[in-house]
Amino acid sequence: MAEITTFEQFVKRILKIIFWLLIILPMVALPIFYLFYVLPVEFTCNFSLLNCSEHINWSLALYMFDPSKLNPFDPNSYISQMGLGANSMLFKLTTFPGFTFVALLSSMVIWWERKLLAKMQYRIGPLYAGRLEGIFQSFADLFKLLFKEIVVPERADRLFFIAAPFAMMALAGALVGIIPIGPSTYIATSPYSLLIVIAIIGFFPIVALMAGWASNNKFSFIGAMRALYQMISYEIPLVISILGVVVLAGSLDLFQIVSAQSRIWYILPMILGAIVFYITSMAEVERIPFDLPDADSEIVAGWQTEFTSMVFGVIQLAVYVKLYALSALFTILFLGGWSGPPAVPGVVWFLIKTLIVETIFIIPRGAFPRVRIDQLIKFGWVWLIVLAFINFFVAIALKAFFGL
Amino acid sequence: MSSGSSPELPKAEKGIIDAIGKLGEKAKLIYAKPNRIKFSVQRDDLVEVARFIRDELHFDHATNVTGTDFPKDGQLEITYHLGSHDGGEELRRIILAISCRIPSNDPKLPTLVNEYPSVLYHERETAEMIGCVFEGHPNLGRLLLPEDWTDIPPMLKAFRLPGRLEGE
Amino acid sequence: MSLPTQSSGLFTEQVSEDKLVVSIGPQHPGAGHFRFTIRVEGDTITECIPDPGYVHRGGEKQTEYRTYIQSIPMIERSSLLDVTNITLPYCMAAEELMGIQVPPRAQYLRMIMSENQRIISHLYWLGIQGIFLGHSTMFMWPLGDRDIFIDLGQMIGGARITYSYCVPGGVRNDMPPNFKDRAMKVFEYFESRLKDYERIFFRSPLFEKRTRGVGVLSRSDAISLGVAGQVLRASGVKSDTRIDEPYCFYKDISFEVPVYDDGDTWARCMVHLEEMRQSMSIIRQCLEKMPQGQIKVKLSPQQRAQAGEAYCRTEAARGAMAFHIISDGSTKPYRTKWSVPSFRNLIALPKLLVGSHVADMPAIYWSLDYWPVEADR
Repeated sequence: MAEITTFEQFVKRILKIIFWLLIILPMVALPIFYLFYVLPVEFTCNFSLLNCSEHINWSLALYMFDPSKLNPFDPNSYISQMGLGANSMLFKLTTFPGFTFVALLSSMVIWWERKLLAKMQYRIGPLYAGRLEGIFQSFADLFKLLFKEIVVPERADRLFFIAAPFAMMALAGALVGIIPIGPSTYIATSPYSLLIVIAIIGFFPIVALMAGWASNNKFSFIGAMRALYQMISYEIPLVISILGVVVLAGSLDLFQIVSAQSRIWYILPMILGAIVFYITSMAEVERIPFDLPDADSEIVAGWQTEFTSMVFGVIQLAVYVKLYALSALFTILFLGGWSGPPAVPGVVWFLIKTLIVETIFIIPRGAFPRVRIDQLIKFGWVWLIVLAFINFFVAIALKAFFGL
Repeated sequence: MSSGSSPELPKAEKGIIDAIGKLGEKAKLIYAKPNRIKFSVQRDDLVEVARFIRDELHFDHATNVTGTDFPKDGQLEITYHLGSHDGGEELRRIILAISCRIPSNDPKLPTLVNEYPSVLYHERETAEMIGCVFEGHPNLGRLLLPEDWTDIPPMLKAFRLPGRLEGE
Repeated sequence: MSLPTQSSGLFTEQVSEDKLVVSIGPQHPGAGHFRFTIRVEGDTITECIPDPGYVHRGGEKQTEYRTYIQSIPMIERSSLLDVTNITLPYCMAAEELMGIQVPPRAQYLRMIMSENQRIISHLYWLGIQGIFLGHSTMFMWPLGDRDIFIDLGQMIGGARITYSYCVPGGVRNDMPPNFKDRAMKVFEYFESRLKDYERIFFRSPLFEKRTRGVGVLSRSDAISLGVAGQVLRASGVKSDTRIDEPYCFYKDISFEVPVYDDGDTWARCMVHLEEMRQSMSIIRQCLEKMPQGQIKVKLSPQQRAQAGEAYCRTEAARGAMAFHIISDGSTKPYRTKWSVPSFRNLIALPKLLVGSHVADMPAIYWSLDYWPVEADR
């Protein structure tokens, strides 16, 4: 801590302390308050077996030993009544279809990707972390990143530099929030949810540009410009390839798109659209034939060059959350979402399909070299847009003549 | 150094020696053995001889430039090793060396960049290593040595490696 | 963002906002111990200034302080991928000055080791070229297969990388009796692997898209710039010291020199690929023709050389490697000059990079097989 010599520094220090208090209070003080005061009072007042003023801690222990009272899926449990159960928005956002679930799934996908690529390349891959085939390698990496120093370059734009990764994560989270994973398992819904998804996808290159510009590094800057170039080449075919599905389903609501596929999955009539969507999503998540914005051999790490520590970890997490979200979108649009034999719940079907799609996203990384930016733009504008339009017309024809 | 041509020289080498012999005093044969011929040239004639070798004898590229310090003679010797790709089967095996001796206190000689573009970096390296000046060279900046090198050129015999004893 | 002033060398220049001066290296993952500055306009490189010398160790000066045999481990440090091929011309030049005839068996062993070394070097090259094009599998496969050739070299040389195998007068170790069987097994395996490489990488349409017509060096430019090795052969010049001026027993061996007329990155890649096949065939023939006999002429550690000069050249993995040794008749060379292929190929880098895309920069740079340590000496 620097010595305080001026009034300005004094004010800054005070503001800093207030800032940290504001952060720590909800994270530490409130849970303690909640656990040791609110819950026992609720418990003892309802059951009135024990004197609440004398047996606070003991009652808490008793409460914790009774799992039925903690079951978040039971609408009558205390947690549910307090708005923290499985049906509450907080639980959905933070836990099940939301952040924790997606982060865990992404860390498993990272492990799966590394293992799969290792097998393709006659390697072993992660082996030691977690006893079983290095299954906890992602967590080991997470802890390594957590203990690193956050370095902000001297001439960087501090605010935007720090904000960019979190904006990235927030956008990826928003993408997850609007995509349902089961008939009743969703965070948010809207009759125009597909439109919202497309709108959010369009934001990502802007965040990349923000990060690259704020880093004040030439490699970051080139990477950010490439992200923008890449966007103009894939964004339009991406949207047009979705249009076919919209025409067939007659709706922009992801739930209705899934229910419209009860007869036939759209991947069969819309095979062209599925291919275009697959290629453009690969460009969207910057995976290997199209990983130009962070091409490691050309421009170090592109717009991520200057990021260190968990800030970099957040970017990586956001990228994999985005990969999950696009795979989930592919599943909903073309693979019938959560529909499947009813022996298994729909969410499980959905996850199985999504993981298969993610695997298909992963495999090209071991098989293709990187394309060049001019080749990508040409490919996007000459081939993908034409294919997407053909797909669109096929959809119109199917709708008009066969009423599919 | 051995001088004169040995009797069992192949035909191609003999032809080259005869052709350069037309230049008269300008190029002096130092040695000739199979595949290797070396001529000595005065620095005023260097460009002319190089042009002749390029145009008439079809030696089209330089493979090496060596700068050697001879403090006993007070001279520096710059040797260009020239090779040929397009001169036919016989010429491809021959390396023709032309050397130029210049006094150490006036280390200047004309550059051969215009005749042989391939000597660009070789001359630049020789210049910084031996301290001679190739007049007309586009860029004689530092190449291999550090930019803040302040000692004498390291390949001069006067430069002793620190920590090394005198030779024999 | 206002661009900060760029320092390049000892001068500072102000750059306008539509141009970018990017310094590639020495910490860039693509450059190794080498830096070049590129000026970028849009996505096109308009200027390239190479700046070698980061790993200059004064090898030429150091040889003047050592006897002929003492220099060998120091010389091979400058080209770790190619240790046999860089010591071979040095030993040949020293032998010429000492007037020594090397026994035939030693010459065959030298050929085997230098061809093995060529495969090792090319596999390393292939791995890096793969990752420079963004192909991670092509990075892992050659580097994994390179190990079996290192094991093969270890059977003869005794060490894995730096075995100081060639010495003036012959070689240091003889071949173990099971070497031939082992080598045949390795070649059989590696030939099938080369087919895999072709399937996944060399015949991939994306690879062709990235390399065809990229960094074209015309035949006349290649000759006048004096480049060596694969760069020269990919530009349509059939030049190989092994056939131009056969050393050792390359006269008795039949092999092909791959030559492509395209002059682009693709051709340079294909020359590398073909050369690995030819090297295996050369080792096979050497093992067939291997004579019995001495492997070394005993020399005194203080062996004196006759006064005079020798200029010996061989075909190293990256191109023609030559040593110019001037001797004054003592136990130490008066002057050695190493003409290394990497230094000769450096001149092609600005020529090829100017006018190409930034994205092609790593592919072009590495297709020259530029090894900074070898070039800086």
